[in-house]
Amino acid sequence: MKALILNGAKTRDIEVDRFQEVLLEELKGLQWDADAVRLRELTVTHCVGCFECWIKTPGICRFKDAGPWIAQSFIQSDLAVFVTPVTFGGYSSELKKALDRAICLISPHFIKINGEVHHQARYQRYPRLLVFGLREHPCGESDAIFRKLVGRNALNLHAPAHHAALVQSSLDRNGFQQRIQASLNTLEGSP
Amino acid sequence: MTSRTKLLLLIGSAKLQGSTSESLGGFLRDRLQEQGFEPETLFLHTALKSEEHKARMLRSVRHSELVIMAFPLYVDTLPALLIRAMEDVADCFKGETASQNPRLVCIVNCGFPESKQNDTALAICRQFTLETGFEWAGGLQLGAGEAISGRPLSAVKGLARNVIKSLQLTAEALVAGRPVPQKAKDLMARPLVPKWMYSVFGERRWRQDAKRHGALHHLDDRPYEPE
Repeated sequence: MKALILNGAKTRDIEVDRFQEVLLEELKGLQWDADAVRLRELTVTHCVGCFECWIKTPGICRFKDAGPWIAQSFIQSDLAVFVTPVTFGGYSSELKKALDRAICLISPHFIKINGEVHHQARYQRYPRLLVFGLREHPCGESDAIFRKLVGRNALNLHAPAHHAALVQSSLDRNGFQQRIQASLNTLEGSP
Repeated sequence: MTSRTKLLLLIGSAKLQGSTSESLGGFLRDRLQEQGFEPETLFLHTALKSEEHKARMLRSVRHSELVIMAFPLYVDTLPALLIRAMEDVADCFKGETASQNPRLVCIVNCGFPESKQNDTALAICRQFTLETGFEWAGGLQLGAGEAISGRPLSAVKGLARNVIKSLQLTAEALVAGRPVPQKAKDLMARPLVPKWMYSVFGERRWRQDAKRHGALHHLDDRPYEPE
């Protein structure tokens, strides 16, 4: 079982990097074939909204940087894990840059889900989605936005199961391990 | 107004020209300019291309009394470029008192017919103001933005009548120092076209575009399917 961790930390987000390292160890300990990517260390151009990945070279982005490799690794994994500093209730720009480039993984065709229009799946199967947001302190409004965003992403990325976990960045290693275990258990119990 | 209020329009679309964000934000900017505001427009794809450009953008934000961010919805939230700009602005304004900070208005449009799919993006913009001390003046959300497709609103005519009215009401409120009125939010959120029509014409457009690129029979390709 393959797991891909996308780490959206900036250089200053030391605690996010520390969490990602514990997460990678935990997943490997559970026999996952896991990889972690520090997105800031890769060259990922921002999406220019050209839609060529839908209408010119369907499924493939025109930019030949790390973006296509990330998209391919994402769709070929069983579990996709995002790790990000909570940024105004959402994702960091580093994580979002990679995610914006992942629209090649869905189809331009429309489909209705729960009465709303969305884009159809391009692939037959998609990874489950687990998203960890790290912040210094719990914040009701920001945390609620984050959870909602993860739910919306899961819908549009056709994730068969998803879970959003908010983690206090000051926790020690043991605290991180407990949050990771609890989140994996919750995801496992999802339909 | 006794002095000219400085207004900064930030276009969050990555398109080099003809973006719906520019159509919407530009219309509001022009109405405010008619009322004596002194506008500046920055495209984020240019404003963040170097440290020098970024410093200029931060100076512009600092000297503005009103900032308008107009952007498309990307994967349920703001485009990465705009998030990066907001991270930079937040760093720049850290530790400053709220009285020094500008008002913020946001206009988001998405490629789905339901305007409420923009909810999360606007919530993030509002959260940004709470964390930076900016004053939240409100947000407008538009569905089916592709129906405008980067044309000036004056050229879209009847289709955009609610959008135009919404932006006029917003301009009037901002000139008077009030937040975006509910009536303006409701008008902007109204469907531009019926949902079924948007889906049918949208589907047709994707097919036409793919045909033009010789990719019609490859629309459903799965290049990364595991072997």
